[in-house]
Amino acid sequence: MTEPNASETNPAKPASPLVLRLRRFRRLRRGYYSFLLLAAAYVLSFLLPFLMSDRALVVRHEGTVYFPALWSYPNQIFGYSQSLGLFEDVVYSPATFGVDSVETSTDYRELKERFEKSGGSNFVWLPPFPYSPTEQFLAEGQLRAPDREHWMGTDDRGRDVFVRLAYGFRISMTFALLVTSIAYAFGTLVGSLLGYFSGWVDLVGQRFVEIWGGIPFLYTVIIISAAVGPSFVVLVLILATFGWIGISYYIRGEFYREKAKDYVAAAIATGESNLTIMVRHVLPNALTPIIAFAPFAIVANITTLVALDFLGFGLPAPTPSWGELMKQGRANIREWHLVVFPLLAMFTTLQLIVFIGEAVREAFDPKVYSRMR
Amino acid sequence: MTAYFVRRFLLVVPTFIGVTLIAYTIMRYVPGGPLDQLKMQARAAQAEGGASIGGEAGAIPEEALEAAKKAFHLDKHVVVAYVYWLGDLVTGNLGESYFFQEPVGKLVVERFPISIFFGLTGFVLAYLISVPLGIVKALKHGTSFDFFSSATIFIGYSIPGWAIGTLLLVFFAGGEFYDWFPLGGFRSTSYFELPEFVQSWEDPADVEDDFGRFRWNRLGYLSKVADQLWHTVLPVFCYMMGSFATLTILMKNSLMENIGQDYVRTAFAKGLHPRRVIFLHVLRNSLIPLATGLGRALSIVMAGSYLIELVFNIDGLGMLGFNSIVRRDYAVVMGVLAINTMLTLVGNILSDVLYALIDPRIRFQ
Repeated sequence: MTEPNASETNPAKPASPLVLRLRRFRRLRRGYYSFLLLAAAYVLSFLLPFLMSDRALVVRHEGTVYFPALWSYPNQIFGYSQSLGLFEDVVYSPATFGVDSVETSTDYRELKERFEKSGGSNFVWLPPFPYSPTEQFLAEGQLRAPDREHWMGTDDRGRDVFVRLAYGFRISMTFALLVTSIAYAFGTLVGSLLGYFSGWVDLVGQRFVEIWGGIPFLYTVIIISAAVGPSFVVLVLILATFGWIGISYYIRGEFYREKAKDYVAAAIATGESNLTIMVRHVLPNALTPIIAFAPFAIVANITTLVALDFLGFGLPAPTPSWGELMKQGRANIREWHLVVFPLLAMFTTLQLIVFIGEAVREAFDPKVYSRMR
Repeated sequence: MTAYFVRRFLLVVPTFIGVTLIAYTIMRYVPGGPLDQLKMQARAAQAEGGASIGGEAGAIPEEALEAAKKAFHLDKHVVVAYVYWLGDLVTGNLGESYFFQEPVGKLVVERFPISIFFGLTGFVLAYLISVPLGIVKALKHGTSFDFFSSATIFIGYSIPGWAIGTLLLVFFAGGEFYDWFPLGGFRSTSYFELPEFVQSWEDPADVEDDFGRFRWNRLGYLSKVADQLWHTVLPVFCYMMGSFATLTILMKNSLMENIGQDYVRTAFAKGLHPRRVIFLHVLRNSLIPLATGLGRALSIVMAGSYLIELVFNIDGLGMLGFNSIVRRDYAVVMGVLAINTMLTLVGNILSDVLYALIDPRIRFQ
């Protein structure tokens, strides 16, 4: 396996263990490239409104330039009111009713066709994939098989599957990252308190942790979310309140072990406060499990969200979600694209995270396996 | 050691009480409970009855409300009500289902065999495949066999079993592709659900009772086996996938770790045959971490995974629990939850007992 090279470390000032580990991580190519790929995809997913949306990026109309992706404009601006007769699909423009003030969304794909037909300097610059995740293509039929226009078909409400998967990626990732951070922060807090103070604090605390950990977690999540009516924030909080138990055990163990070491005794002897010892001295040494387990916790949290959405107790209805698509796929067993594509998205994402996780674990906890002969 | 485990078993009691008390409390304060349902039913009845009844809409007789309150101990403090529930549980009475109008114990007992059947089959298969595969992978670490089998394992690692289930259904259960397996269920519930080849040798008249209803028990022995297997393949595959990946990796890593130990070098040095070293010395030690998984799998094996049961429409314990949550059938939810909690807690201790039994180095205090 990879060993830190003596020539790489500066002899004058030895690199910190963290730097060494990160360097080792970068050398584990599969994990490192997975990390780069996933990070890039996640950052890119925040630009989704400009990549996949039914709102045009730039519209030029009669010499004025508009940015519909940033602001919404009423129809009339682009001259819908005059030429309505030519475009029968636009049934309800505000102008139809003689109302000028009501804002309504403009069909920019149509506007583009119109501008192109009429020629002139007007133009519409659409996003590369000009559909929004909640837009229903009912005229073209629901449950459409994949074709050139909708690469992965449409779902049972006529929404583009590809776009919903892409937005679902951002939501799943954000969700899992939030849950994991909150749960790990709390788990670290509890674990370090129990491990550091030990004694009766630990004895009583452990009982509570045990009870909390014994609650059948998905059951309770479903009960609560059936009652409260789940939103993104509520779900994050519920999952976080159940997700901290595993890591608290590890942190508690680490604190137990570290506490017995001489440097802690020395710190106590110099009169440092418990808080300083815990945060400044012990915690940095106990961080390995957090970093090593976080990727797998993220995998678990994404899976949980997909399962909850699949059961119908996840994020509220129009939210683009992988699990909800799979639920539709289970209900419409002939529509293979509703199952295959969400699974593919899930598999790819989780696989990348697992690769990252394995590399992180190897970089932070190198266990050199000897091979037979 | 014995004292340790006795203490552990005694500690199950407070933990169990804590868990069920919390669940009981959550359930009690969640809207949509028995009273709300009663009111809703009354309102629905009122709507059906129309104006002929008159009176204020949604009103139910005060006595009925009181009776329901009494039945669910809603007129008492939560803790008192819980103690009543616990007392019933200890005497073996799990209460009565609101939805089925049947004792919860009966519902559970009916479904236990179904869940165990799938859970246990999948569990045994997972071990039967993972252990040899893990051994081979460890011995051939770094070869192309290791690499390509890892690719399959990765699928199991990152996609949960129930999700694979939906994929299997789409491809093999009469979607656009193959119609090899049924869409789900434990066994066929009518003659026409039977696999075609079974239909070809079973006469519908033979398997019907006097009222013309389908009776699975009247099928021939071979037909029973065929029909059961036919319904078993896909769900069991999903159960298997759930633990297959982790088990194989665990087996492989554990074996490789042991191969690096000094005693293995000694065994090789004194000229033992490699096969003897691996299977007699290394394997026995590497199986220890897998043994601990046996206990922790207890609740999945016995109570089933409700996700897999839902995907395959298997009327087992998991599905009963899930549907009861949806229906707010509290007695059933609490019953299933109590069983699940007990299985998990006992399973955890069982794991440690196994661990201590197998590995004499382990000493709990």
